[in-house]
Amino acid sequence: MKSKKVLFIFFMLFPTFFIISTLNIYPTIKGIILSFQNFTLFNFNRIKFIGLKNYIDILTDPEFPSILLNTLLWIVCSVIFQFLLGFGLAILMKRPFKGRSIYAGLVFYPWALSGFAIGLLWSWLLNGQFGIINDILLRLGLIDSGINFLSDPKLAMFSVIIVNIWYGIPFFAIMLLAALQSIPDSLYEAAEIDGAGPVKKLIYITIPYIKPTIINTILLRSIWIMNFPDIIYGMTRGGPAGSTNILAVHMINIVYYKNDYSKASTVGVIILTILMIYTIIYLRITESGVVEI
Amino acid sequence: MKKLSFILSILLIFVVSFLSAEEVTLKMIQVFTSPLRTKIIEEIIEKFEEQNPGVKIELISPPYETAYQKIYLMVSTNQPLDIVEVGDWSLSALASMGKLENLEPYISKSPLKDYFINGIIDAARIYKNTAYLLPNAVYVKTLFYRPDILEKYGIRSVPKTMDELMAFCKYITDPKNNQYGFDFRGKGFPTAFIDLVVTSFFDDIDPNNMYLTKDGKLIFEDPRAKEGLKFYVEFYEKTAPKDSINWGFDEQVNAFVAGITPYLFQDPDTTGLLNELLKNGVYKTAPLPIGRGGKAYPTFGFAGWGITSYSKHKDIAWKFIEFFNSPENNAYWCKMYGALPVDKRVYENDPYFSSEIFKGWAEMFNDPEHYQFTKYPLDNEAWSNWNQFHEETMQKVLLGKMSIDEALKEWAKFWKEAGLVK
Repeated sequence: MKSKKVLFIFFMLFPTFFIISTLNIYPTIKGIILSFQNFTLFNFNRIKFIGLKNYIDILTDPEFPSILLNTLLWIVCSVIFQFLLGFGLAILMKRPFKGRSIYAGLVFYPWALSGFAIGLLWSWLLNGQFGIINDILLRLGLIDSGINFLSDPKLAMFSVIIVNIWYGIPFFAIMLLAALQSIPDSLYEAAEIDGAGPVKKLIYITIPYIKPTIINTILLRSIWIMNFPDIIYGMTRGGPAGSTNILAVHMINIVYYKNDYSKASTVGVIILTILMIYTIIYLRITESGVVEI
Repeated sequence: MKKLSFILSILLIFVVSFLSAEEVTLKMIQVFTSPLRTKIIEEIIEKFEEQNPGVKIELISPPYETAYQKIYLMVSTNQPLDIVEVGDWSLSALASMGKLENLEPYISKSPLKDYFINGIIDAARIYKNTAYLLPNAVYVKTLFYRPDILEKYGIRSVPKTMDELMAFCKYITDPKNNQYGFDFRGKGFPTAFIDLVVTSFFDDIDPNNMYLTKDGKLIFEDPRAKEGLKFYVEFYEKTAPKDSINWGFDEQVNAFVAGITPYLFQDPDTTGLLNELLKNGVYKTAPLPIGRGGKAYPTFGFAGWGITSYSKHKDIAWKFIEFFNSPENNAYWCKMYGALPVDKRVYENDPYFSSEIFKGWAEMFNDPEHYQFTKYPLDNEAWSNWNQFHEETMQKVLLGKMSIDEALKEWAKFWKEAGLVK
């Protein structure tokens, strides 16, 4: 009887286990194995284990510190502003107003587009010579000559982050709006009776109530943004001179230019390790333990 | 009667099964997939199938980004594949796997062999001096220019030298009016653009290696390379939009079409796009300007079809490749796709290829004194690392983050470590 029950459990779990194994676990293990090999398209027939050579090459690359710094800047700036603006938008959207659903559709649509397409689109919009943004600024008389948003190393990182912020706001807005709508109005009414103003209501009711959602969304978004080369790849491919190069773009460039799948996998494993450490620290600090999505 | 119909049906089954057993299906994979390209290849396949009953060709068209990966995986596991498209930059990698058939015996017996344009088969012998593919189109950079824009500034002559080009570019550059001269390429494999300018300062480039002089020395350690690179940087600083450090092919074409930069170095496939975007005669081509070394050093870029070494239908595969390269099909293919034909007869027979659009290439091909074709070290394993390194270091120089001397030193070090200097 008991063995039948075990068999039943196994049978029911098998599809999930199978899908996770083939789509998640196998590629991860394969990626880790690749990072210790010399798998490039040039020596397809001579693949062998080469120890830590790939890791040494990647970590001692003189460009690596700046790539790491760019990655940090990319994640921190993107997440903070996406969250703040998304949160603000969610609060505004919570109140019913005429045409809210149309407005919501317009606000949320960037999230439905492909990141790479957005990157390409913005690379044209921000083009120094024939970009529409420069054209508008010139016509308004705000500038004398086109701004080189993507070719000036000082502006390039700033430009790609702005686009990423624009792209990611809807995610926070959608998630936080759903959480906000679950807060019972009675809590706010009671607080109002006690004389609480909007700021106090935000600090003592809204934020604590939606804290799990905030923690989850920030955690998820940080992970996604770190693994998200699409926008930068479409806009600058990490240039000029590596000024917008982040780990995820570096990984793609290694495959695109060098066809070196092992070194790209090494960068992938480094990203995975950083994210694991980040997740552990983040969850410890926020003391939320296991997160529910 | 019953007996007769029984015998007849048995006979019919026998004939049908015999015929179907005779049918041969070839599998063919393309690399540079695009909707237009796929359509043209399918049309040529259809014609071939009509002329060769019993032969079917299945075309596999993976997206370009993953095409080579797919080919490598397919051939390394001997999956059914007969005809493979290979580009010059990947030929060595595929040939070194031992999965491509040596096409020399086929080429030597082919009636096409007397009509190949000069040097093209030699250019295809990248790996072990053996042709593992038959090129079907050639890509050589030339100078595209916009007479309509230049005439506004009173420029009616075509720059014959790099110095003249620089002078014209400087003359018309006026950032306030969004007018520049040189259509610069900063990203997405700018290697060929840098090299065309730098090597034009030399008169002794090795015909077999763009990065060596005839006496076997690295060009990057030669003072002329410094002069050439300085000149190239000047193009960027004085005659090109600053934004062009972030320009790839699309931006270059866009700026040329908009007239912002009326001088462009590009390959013949640009003509296909320009013919769509600009009216007939609005743009022209001219030979590449020669440099202070008195020469210019273009390279043959090409793509073509190869046969897998394990194919069971090599002869039929070759028959198709020959068919694809016949003057009629080669002309059609190159006209539609925007490339230079590999068959000399096409230039003579087809008025399109002797039209003014192709003047730049025709003059270069007919002037071996000034235009010496050379080759990239594509068989060197470091080649795949070179393009990104070259692009990034070049961008640093353009942004003033690295000096010209430092860049040349780095490039020399790179190729020395790669064993280019013997």
